[in-house]
Amino acid sequence: MAALGVSSIWRAAVLRSCVSGLQLFNLQSQTYLFPTSCLYPILLRNYAAEAKKVFVRDKPHVNIGTIGHVDHGKTTLTAAITKVLAETGGAKYKKYEDIDSAPEEKSRGITINASHVEYSTANRHYSHTDCPGHADYVKNMITGTSQMDGCILVVAATDGQMPQTREHLLLAKQIGVEHVVVFVNKADAVEDKEMLDLVELEIRELLTEFGYDGEKTPVIIGSALCALEGKNQELGVSSILKLLDSVDDCIPLPTRELDKPFLLPIESIHSIPGRGTVVTGTLERGIVKKGDDCEFVGHNKKIQSVVTGIETFHQSLERAEAGDNLGSLVRGLKREDLRRGMVMCKPGSIKPHQKIEAQVYILSKEEGGRHKPFVSYFMPVMFSLTWDMACRVVLPANKEMVMPGEDTSLTLILRQPMVLEKGQRFTLRDGNRTIGTGLVTDILEMTPDDQSKWG
Amino acid sequence: MDMIVCGLFRVLRAKVFPLHQARYFHSETRLLASDKSLLVKLRRQTGYSFVKCKQALDKFNNDLKQAEAWLHDEAQKQGWSKASKLKGRKTAEGLIGLLQEGNCAVMVEVNCETDFVARNANFQQLVQQVALGTMMHYQGKQETLSTYIKSFLGADELAQLKTSSDGTSLSDQVALTIGKLGENMTLRRAAWVAVPPNFFIGSYVHGATPSNLPSSSTVVFGRYGALVICQTSEESSRSSILELGRRLGQHVVGMSPLSVGSLQDEPGGDTETKMLAQPFLLDPNISMGEYLYPRGVAVLDFLRFECGEELEMANAEPARHSAEN
Repeated sequence: MAALGVSSIWRAAVLRSCVSGLQLFNLQSQTYLFPTSCLYPILLRNYAAEAKKVFVRDKPHVNIGTIGHVDHGKTTLTAAITKVLAETGGAKYKKYEDIDSAPEEKSRGITINASHVEYSTANRHYSHTDCPGHADYVKNMITGTSQMDGCILVVAATDGQMPQTREHLLLAKQIGVEHVVVFVNKADAVEDKEMLDLVELEIRELLTEFGYDGEKTPVIIGSALCALEGKNQELGVSSILKLLDSVDDCIPLPTRELDKPFLLPIESIHSIPGRGTVVTGTLERGIVKKGDDCEFVGHNKKIQSVVTGIETFHQSLERAEAGDNLGSLVRGLKREDLRRGMVMCKPGSIKPHQKIEAQVYILSKEEGGRHKPFVSYFMPVMFSLTWDMACRVVLPANKEMVMPGEDTSLTLILRQPMVLEKGQRFTLRDGNRTIGTGLVTDILEMTPDDQSKWG
Repeated sequence: MDMIVCGLFRVLRAKVFPLHQARYFHSETRLLASDKSLLVKLRRQTGYSFVKCKQALDKFNNDLKQAEAWLHDEAQKQGWSKASKLKGRKTAEGLIGLLQEGNCAVMVEVNCETDFVARNANFQQLVQQVALGTMMHYQGKQETLSTYIKSFLGADELAQLKTSSDGTSLSDQVALTIGKLGENMTLRRAAWVAVPPNFFIGSYVHGATPSNLPSSSTVVFGRYGALVICQTSEESSRSSILELGRRLGQHVVGMSPLSVGSLQDEPGGDTETKMLAQPFLLDPNISMGEYLYPRGVAVLDFLRFECGEELEMANAEPARHSAEN
């Protein structure tokens, strides 16, 4: 076992050095004419992280999950999918036991990693998540560890929808899963075709009840067990392939960060003699090019300008993409005009707000959070992007206090408007302690009453 | 008791196995069109699986009434077999149920495996039955009290209790719910408290899951629950007492004190475990004792349940002693 471990590490190391060597070579042979001595450390820095992955990103990535009543075959289906796709090289076959006894499923904490299966179809790469618990899911949604772009609802043909099917669908709705594909499992155990129709009818009704498109949602009838055991081609392997086709078709690709309007949270501002003002930070999303119009928002300011140059690691860039660490030269601004915590963005794409609705997870004592609950008018400091701002907590009407380890929806009122939008993540801190993390779910209007409370 | 369960299980296993294999070879007669609507009807009414409903209709020649009765019977048996199969699986989630009637109150804890189940109406119904059953068990014992009584029931005693509605045992009800929801469940504990007239019980349930029960009684469900036993002087009015009791319960849930302490205790900091010396949850500038004193209310004892918490009997004992001191 130990020898195996060592040899695989060694192999990975060789591979890594090969890859990075190759990249170095490629880049040097292109247009870069800098002395290699100064280039070397820079490239190492840039590519080290990438070289670590052997993952090939040739297909768009989508996160999906399985939901459904216990014993309806969620895990069997997952195993069947990997088995069927393993034949075309799209997955590594995982047995039922491998999936079921994965350590991740047992461990619980703030960073539970529920996804432990990956596979690819002809068109896409999927990471597959199983459902450990309602609270865990909501926690995951808030902290951003795993989102689901869509899910497969598994229903046993022998049972029809059962109590947990409802709870899972409710959860899917709550965490914002909009696309569902249904797999009616164990069809081999039902002789009567009419019964399958009844099950299908019932599940369509249920979907409609929960606000999904019950009529158009694809319902695939099959048997994951048959697929695993290689029996009954039609109910087995074919049904799994059909299911994967529907998943490919019906669950749309999430918008990629690159396609969104650009956003650069400002980390620092420098004044460079002879050139002007440079703002630095990591491009959160989008693409920014030299000559683009830009807007600085935040800290009660809104300033228009133009990007006159972009640099990364002392080299000038024509265009920077999301994830790049960059410095941007901007026209006609003084260092005093800008401040850390403001953002540079595509004009009009983002606005500052002062009052929001958020779904928040409050860390438990064991996770380093508070040991006692808080009530309304608690005032933590909110951190998001590169800014921080005091805020006031207002609990929802049916709640009087929030215990550590709980997730809840909260209304937060900031002392000053800052850049905030739906879906943005933030952290709440109190003194020198992180007490929770959250996700903006809605932007609210300030009322005169809210305003006066900040005095 | 265990013997019976084992025996039952053995019989059932023998019954279940051939059935299971039959899944693949069995050939059934086609459904007639009229049966189909009956099948849908029976399933709507009972919520049992399609296969079971069909089996029941076949067995009783489409007699809806008999089929339904048989299904309920079968569910009970299946529940027991399922329960013994799932026995030993960890149950860390669940609900606290709190029921208050006049001068007595009951708090129970029932556990299950995932919080999906804790949100389910069937599970909540079970918790409600446990609470009502416990209340019934103690009926009549609260007469002519001179001081408060507090009594606990463990898992084994709870299992023996009868439900208030139809007199079946609570363990039967647990098995039935396990059969329906497919997860292991355990009755964990129950506490009953009764007080004489010049006392009152403050109660609070936290993390209340919206009740999915259609005609819910007064049982409240949540992840934390607290009962606080207080004595009042005459001048405090009834309505303010309710609100005060709720706040005290809230404090106990939130600050999880280990003992009551006395009014003479110096106000302590955040790590204080004596309730009266702790900073008051809703106004941390004053201690609990300072909050209560002007209101003419004395806290004698309290109970705190947290769903899935480790049970330390050692902690419960000193709490009681210091209350009496």
